[in-house]
Amino acid sequence: MDPRQRPLLHRRLGVFKAMAWCLVATLILIYAWLQLVRHGEFKQLALQQAVKVRPIAAPRGLVLDRNGHRLVDNRRALHLVIQREDLPTRPEVVAALALALELDPVALARKIQIYRVAGKGRPLVLKENLDDAGIALAERVRARFPFLSVDVAPRRVYLGDELAGHVLGYVGEVDEELMKAKPGVFRLGETIGKEGFEASGNDKLKGVDGQKRILVDQLGTEVANFGQADATSGRSLFLTLDAGLQKVMQDAYGEEAGAAVVLDLRDGGILAMYSSPSYDPNLFLNRLSQEMVDRYLNNPTRPMLNRAIQGIYAPGSTFKLLVALAALEKGVATPQTVIYCAGKKNFYGRDFRCDKLSGHGGLSMVQAIAQSCDVYFYELASRMDVDDLYATAEKYGFTERTGIDLPQEKRTRIPSRAWKRKASPRDPKWYAGETISVGIGQGAVGVTPLGLARFYALLATRGKLLTPHLFYGFRGDQSNELEPAPVPPQKDTPLDPRNWAVLDEGLFEVMRSGTAQRSALKEITMAGKTGTAQVATFVDRAHYARQAKHLKDHALFAGYAPHEKPQIAFAVVVENAGFGADMAAPIAKKLVQYWFIDRLKNPLPPPRGRMVDPFAPVPEVAE
Amino acid sequence: MKDRVRALDPRLLWVILALTVLGTLTLYSAGRNTPQAAIWLKQSLWNFMGMALMLLLAATDPRRIFRHSFPIYLLGLVALVAVLVVGKKIGGATRWFVVAGQTFQPSELMKWVTLLYVSQRLGSRPADSVGRLELLGAVGLVVFPMLLIQRQPDLGMALSFLPILLLIPLMKGLRARWVIALLLLVTVGGFGAWKVALKPYQKQRVLIFLDPSSDLQGKGYQVNQSRIAIGAGGLIGKGFTSGSQTQLNFLPVKTTDFAFSVWAEERGFLGVLLVLGLFGLLLSRILDAAKAAHTNAEAYFCAGAAGIFALHLMVNVGMVAGALPNKGMVLPFFSAGGSSTLSFFLALGLIMGILHRSRVK
Repeated sequence: MDPRQRPLLHRRLGVFKAMAWCLVATLILIYAWLQLVRHGEFKQLALQQAVKVRPIAAPRGLVLDRNGHRLVDNRRALHLVIQREDLPTRPEVVAALALALELDPVALARKIQIYRVAGKGRPLVLKENLDDAGIALAERVRARFPFLSVDVAPRRVYLGDELAGHVLGYVGEVDEELMKAKPGVFRLGETIGKEGFEASGNDKLKGVDGQKRILVDQLGTEVANFGQADATSGRSLFLTLDAGLQKVMQDAYGEEAGAAVVLDLRDGGILAMYSSPSYDPNLFLNRLSQEMVDRYLNNPTRPMLNRAIQGIYAPGSTFKLLVALAALEKGVATPQTVIYCAGKKNFYGRDFRCDKLSGHGGLSMVQAIAQSCDVYFYELASRMDVDDLYATAEKYGFTERTGIDLPQEKRTRIPSRAWKRKASPRDPKWYAGETISVGIGQGAVGVTPLGLARFYALLATRGKLLTPHLFYGFRGDQSNELEPAPVPPQKDTPLDPRNWAVLDEGLFEVMRSGTAQRSALKEITMAGKTGTAQVATFVDRAHYARQAKHLKDHALFAGYAPHEKPQIAFAVVVENAGFGADMAAPIAKKLVQYWFIDRLKNPLPPPRGRMVDPFAPVPEVAE
Repeated sequence: MKDRVRALDPRLLWVILALTVLGTLTLYSAGRNTPQAAIWLKQSLWNFMGMALMLLLAATDPRRIFRHSFPIYLLGLVALVAVLVVGKKIGGATRWFVVAGQTFQPSELMKWVTLLYVSQRLGSRPADSVGRLELLGAVGLVVFPMLLIQRQPDLGMALSFLPILLLIPLMKGLRARWVIALLLLVTVGGFGAWKVALKPYQKQRVLIFLDPSSDLQGKGYQVNQSRIAIGAGGLIGKGFTSGSQTQLNFLPVKTTDFAFSVWAEERGFLGVLLVLGLFGLLLSRILDAAKAAHTNAEAYFCAGAAGIFALHLMVNVGMVAGALPNKGMVLPFFSAGGSSTLSFFLALGLIMGILHRSRVK
């Protein structure tokens, strides 16, 4: 090397060396800034993304029938969810996610926005109750959207499928409207009862969610658990329903539409309540498919309607008992009053016909009830004002809601002058002729099957006004036995025993010698009344008109059994089925037959352990 | 063999050994909880091979290598062209030869080969007798392989050739008008590159560098997670294999580009001081070798090598801290990779050879 050059080169290499150390010093300063000055901030961020507080969903209580057979059970299910702190922000990510999961992008974006502002709580559920295909899809999609996770949470199983759909209802995620209507009551993403007893008994069934602090990795998988506050399950409870009787009722209806109720006369407990067509609550746990919407929500036969408490039917002849009672109390007739039936009678210039065109001849009140003579009751009605009928109905609790512990019960409609003024402002005047129709349970009268059953329960108990109910009691946490709940209030009404005796005899004669004698049982005495009513207004008449040339009448039957010492009261409505004696009374007969005879002969196997389905075939026991 | 070991410069050797051990430990920790759990073993293998090559070169007379620098350079150019034709395409870039299941990246070695040949050309005569035309020719020798590499495309790698150009101010000194001309060139070139040459993903990187929080789920995610890891490490670190960012996989590409973040999280600021100090000693010792070198060519090679190491250090360590754009430049001794490891050790072997020759004479 040229000696002249060396000092210059060395000087420049010295500068290089200084620059190298400057670089090292600068890097050290940068790291000092991050690791010493801003350490706290980054430590917090690292903690935030690795340590998560996740809610633990509390299982709801089980629902058992009165004997402990499970009607509603819980199973573990997998849901595809986004935890609150992982909600995506970028609109294109949300859009891609919606596309991958076949969700509505607008609705999804909106939901994510709502969950983001709501803070901590249950995760946003994208797909619920994943089956094998769902799990495969979830795994595929998670590869692209690492913020998704799969959550294990209990799900409801309704063991009888359509057996008691309307009674049990179903659960779902609390919706926005409800949260707005009742601020502070519900938490976002909470599972609540939507329909039926799940809804009305929500406070009894729901548990308290727990929480856990966990360490997660970048995929959101739980790596370690730092401790948790366990969820408290909701309490399991018994309903007054008898699964066996309910099953008999379901089978009795088959394809027919209608509703039936059986009441326990001791306390007003509902032994069975079925509305046909029924629905399967299990299908409502997932988001509704179009097929489901068509099958249930857009179906003109309205399967979602609980006809037992929401169907308003003209009571037909079953209403005659109230007319008779009003006449006796008003004094316009006595039990001995005989009225001649010639097949029809003229009131206010119009002919009102009896069912029996040839006429019943002269009838006492008991005979008139037994033969269901219309002329007799036209005559009684003509001797009274409609407000007299209303007053009697009100006195015996017929005008109010029964107070059953189910949501959205409809009120029975008993007309009065005041009602007409309100209901028909264009023609507010009540015409006397209208009273004649009301006398045989037609015209403006409309009752729910439950309301009707309750009135017959009043007759069976000689004046006790029961509160029908489904809640029987909680299941003891230790004993697993029923802890009976207090019986809802019963009211005594001033039903004159002499008047009662006439009505009771009339109902007994219906079965012995009257319109329903073919439905009588040898072993058990019954008392009841048939009814045949014009098609009520809640269904689409045009639909039926398309289906059948003429509108068939609704068939009704209401009564109690055994006659001497009644234990149950019932009401049966079969829509568009024709005569009550032909269609409704046989169903009542089946119910009585099961309750008093078959049930005792062949009892259901007792519930034990995790035996869940009382209707599953009994496994063969090896000898 | 004994002579060969004696050829190793102890002050350089201890620094290299220390950095290699620390880098391997970091890889062990980074590979846990990932499918690449054995990556530290594989990297150890590369390290051993690299050290063996270093040993070989340290005992070789550097003059023999400098003498053959031209054919080596030509071979390198052929390799760069070949890789564009028969190379394997991974992630949209054609940078690798695949031989017996192993990928090899010729551009890693090419920057050292280029440095070698340019040093040889410029250093064969006294510095003041090298004309402007020859300087321009040297620039061309550097830029040509850069262009080939940018075809792959691999901007980070291409940029790592730039320290070779430091040789020019080393020879000629810095003049004010040169600095001004360079600044002008960078400004105009930068603007032109932005408008014409940069690919969209490269532009994206620049934009995200300017505002990392703009894209926390996407490209900015990596740097953001890296900064969290570094910051959370604090003064003494989370402890070996105990960094939550590393072990829970929040930290991305942690065995290559972001290996230093693993170290910073688990060993803290004290660990960072140690490693950066070691790198300072490394650069310092390489520049000592430049001073001690017998020929201009050897001195230039050492100076350029120091520049390349410094650039890798600056870009990688600065990048993972979010202080520089995400360029994808590896950190010697820490980032896993066969080609880069062997290349670094080869260069260090040559530098040791230069030091050895200066001592024995």
